[in-house]
Amino acid sequence: MRGAREGSISAADSIKEAVAKSKEIQKKYSPFITINEKAEASRTKGRLYGLAVSVKDNICTKGLQTTAGSKILEGYIPPFDATCIEKIKNEGATIIGKTAQDEFGFGTFSVNTQLSIPKNPSDAERTCGGSSGGAGCITAAADFPHVAIAESTGGSITAPAAFTGTIGLTPTYGRVSRYGLVDYSNSMDKIGVLGNRVHDCALMLSIIAGHDPLDSTSSELPTEDFTKYLNADLKGVKIGLPKEYFSEGVDKRISKNVRDKAALLESLGAKCEEMSLPSTPYAIPSYYLIAVSEASTNLAKYCGLRYGLQKDITGNFDEYFTKVRTEGFGEEAKRRIILGTFARMAGFRDKYYFKALRIRATIIKEFKQAFKKYDALITPSMPVVPPKFSDIKNLTPLQNYYMDILTTAPNMAGMPTISMPVEKVDGLPVGMQIIADQFKEGNLIKIAHKFEVSA
Amino acid sequence: MSVMIGLEVHVQLNTESKLFCSDSVDTRNKAPNENTCPICLGFPGSKPKLNKKVIDYALMTGLALGCRIPEESFMSRKIYFYPDLAKNYQISQYESPLVGEGYMNLPDLKIRIRRIHIEEDPAKLVHVGGDITSAEYVLIDYNRSGIPLMEIVTEPDFTTPKQARQFLEKLSSILEHLNVYDASKEMSLRVDANVSINGGERIEVKNITGFENVEKALNFEIIRQSGMARMEVKIEREVRHFDAETGTTKGLRKKEYEEDYGYVFDPDLPIIKVDRAWVEKIKSSMPELPDQRVKRFTSQYKLNEYTASVLIYTDKHLADFYEECCKLYKDPIVVANWTTNELQKSLNWRSERINDSKVKPKTFVELLELIDSNVITERYAKELIKEYVDTGTSPKELAKKSIVKLSKKDIESAVKQALDKNKKAVEEIKSGKTESLQFLIGQVLTLTKKQADPKEIKALILEMLKKQ
Ligand SMILES: [Zn+2]
Repeated sequence: MRGAREGSISAADSIKEAVAKSKEIQKKYSPFITINEKAEASRTKGRLYGLAVSVKDNICTKGLQTTAGSKILEGYIPPFDATCIEKIKNEGATIIGKTAQDEFGFGTFSVNTQLSIPKNPSDAERTCGGSSGGAGCITAAADFPHVAIAESTGGSITAPAAFTGTIGLTPTYGRVSRYGLVDYSNSMDKIGVLGNRVHDCALMLSIIAGHDPLDSTSSELPTEDFTKYLNADLKGVKIGLPKEYFSEGVDKRISKNVRDKAALLESLGAKCEEMSLPSTPYAIPSYYLIAVSEASTNLAKYCGLRYGLQKDITGNFDEYFTKVRTEGFGEEAKRRIILGTFARMAGFRDKYYFKALRIRATIIKEFKQAFKKYDALITPSMPVVPPKFSDIKNLTPLQNYYMDILTTAPNMAGMPTISMPVEKVDGLPVGMQIIADQFKEGNLIKIAHKFEVSA
Repeated sequence: MSVMIGLEVHVQLNTESKLFCSDSVDTRNKAPNENTCPICLGFPGSKPKLNKKVIDYALMTGLALGCRIPEESFMSRKIYFYPDLAKNYQISQYESPLVGEGYMNLPDLKIRIRRIHIEEDPAKLVHVGGDITSAEYVLIDYNRSGIPLMEIVTEPDFTTPKQARQFLEKLSSILEHLNVYDASKEMSLRVDANVSINGGERIEVKNITGFENVEKALNFEIIRQSGMARMEVKIEREVRHFDAETGTTKGLRKKEYEEDYGYVFDPDLPIIKVDRAWVEKIKSSMPELPDQRVKRFTSQYKLNEYTASVLIYTDKHLADFYEECCKLYKDPIVVANWTTNELQKSLNWRSERINDSKVKPKTFVELLELIDSNVITERYAKELIKEYVDTGTSPKELAKKSIVKLSKKDIESAVKQALDKNKKAVEEIKSGKTESLQFLIGQVLTLTKKQADPKEIKALILEMLKKQ
């Protein structure tokens, strides 16, 4: 975040340049669904004055198309700003565009969409990860001061951060207001940040965090200036390495790179040890059950009646809704609506939906127990290096869902995480995930920043 | 034949703002879809925020009906696709209602309350070119979307439609005394009534407004179902629509079961925690309830229980009016008789409620005072009250305008006139036919524009006949 804020160039010029460069990047890697042609430097000389910010397309921006990656919302111009957008605008930031994603966040590779599919700047034949793939893409490709606002439900910030070699901060559930976020799974959705420096993520979080009367699930805990955790000492910091996160399903080279970094942290004063989170294998199925149950209700409202995709009105309302939804939703959205509707059905609710809720409670308890002993946990971010689009096509839905094996547990438990780039494998980016207790983002910033300056 | 009736009563609560947003609940004088915002239109990204006042109102109602108040409850999503639902799900309560079991006492009958929960009202559908089953197309007005509804569910404890009506009247009075709903607003209280006969499948008649209509719909259903039973036609679980014009019900669709709605917790809304302090606070601020008020009326105004109940259960504001009049007039029993009889009749004739009428305590007691001071007769007062209710003009003024109390001489000449004109009747009276005496009294009353006292007329007729 240099440039305008340090007075070398004018804010107006820096925004103009950011938009022009974004258009060039769009041609090569398609990180955007919409580029804000009307982007202008702010008149507010706040903490983000002159900064170009990209926003994941499931976050409402007043007057700027918001589709959540879905054709069913194509052309939808929200009449209001999400609370986090209001906050960054009040600090002088400018939105340069809306970034590509899996439809409604349903995916790990940003390919489940009928709109834009972002390509990895490290290798354009590979994915940027998902669902916030566009945010990872533009963060990696931007050669101008930029920070991305993104969102994670089950790992949608960590995955693109790991695959694009950027930093992805997923805050505690409830830390940042969800007002204005197009819902995927309301009990797990979290707005967060992708950037290239820990400082940028810490500053952005300090601005967007805090209680919002419009979001009853936003925490009333006082917000903090997270930049105060920069340059802290790691002496006495206890870090756990949960063995389930270094299991056979994870690329051994990735596991090794992450373990090496644990050793580095030890040399910086932290104390690392192996530990266990035995409920981890249950995270994926219960995460998906909760997510699809909630998602299938959230998606009910899209029927071509009040906004978004509309068709000629013929037949009765059932026939009309069916026509719009058949065309507007992609395959993965349809799969999740059907799965979710099934999991909620009479006779199955107890077996699936309620059981999943109980497992989530167990997983939260297990994390809470671990954080009595440890200040943070360290794991790989993703089990693989970014796959090629041609390989993704051959994955079954289940194999696809298992890509989230390292991110679903902390995400469903509402624990904050940060993904930091570590040594590459085969020349491709690899990420390390740091997990902290709820509302202890400070611990993440502390460790990540020390790691950043020492790596 | 055994009949089982259960009610689900939906009451629009008269909070200031809607259940989840800050739009007003008052949609009168608003253009269609004017009274909306991204929240009650279910726009992407909007989130509901629970209006605490709604909880207060539901708790008050629960306490008034002797209900159990659970410490925790939560909101759920009830999912079904229908154009009146902005989100294609309704935020309601399922597993855990805000208020648990309670009861209401009716004369000779105790009705059990199963639960009371809160939910959002859907939009209003305007059927164009037909009714719900035959409309050409439908217009949607979301002004109503998100108005807080309280749903009171009874056990199937009613055995007659009349009891259901009594329950609704008493419930409405309780709600008015609590000041949680506005009875004068159209559609502010809607009833789904379940009826089954001889332990068979239950039929649900949906969305009935008006207590009389509930009674009519239930009577129709009982006749219809018992007819089917006689013909040995199987009664199947079904939702029906009541047509107020014809007083009949029509089949709408097969009834789905509640568990088929695929309920999930609404993850945007935290668990509602009602601690003891909250309940105590509401208890201590509860206004006087109808049953307590009936007791007070019997002791304070020496009314019998029946008259007190009529005053209080007909319309809370009628009871308020009565009490105001008692402050201005000496005899509460006279006020009660006039209020429950002649005044209520005239209001009913105009389909008015006391609060919307031109009747005011100060002018109303004038009428009673005019009778007391013999300026007008009681019989004439019963005529005059109609004009008073129509115009609101003070009875003193009205009495001045018309011919006030006739002199004895005037009445005598009227009697004479009547006797001369009706020779045949006179003969009949002489031969002992009393009906003819009544006839003659009637004639004199007409001649005196009902301002003479019938007793006086009778005496005069008999006197004159003796002389003849
Ligand atoms: Zn509203």
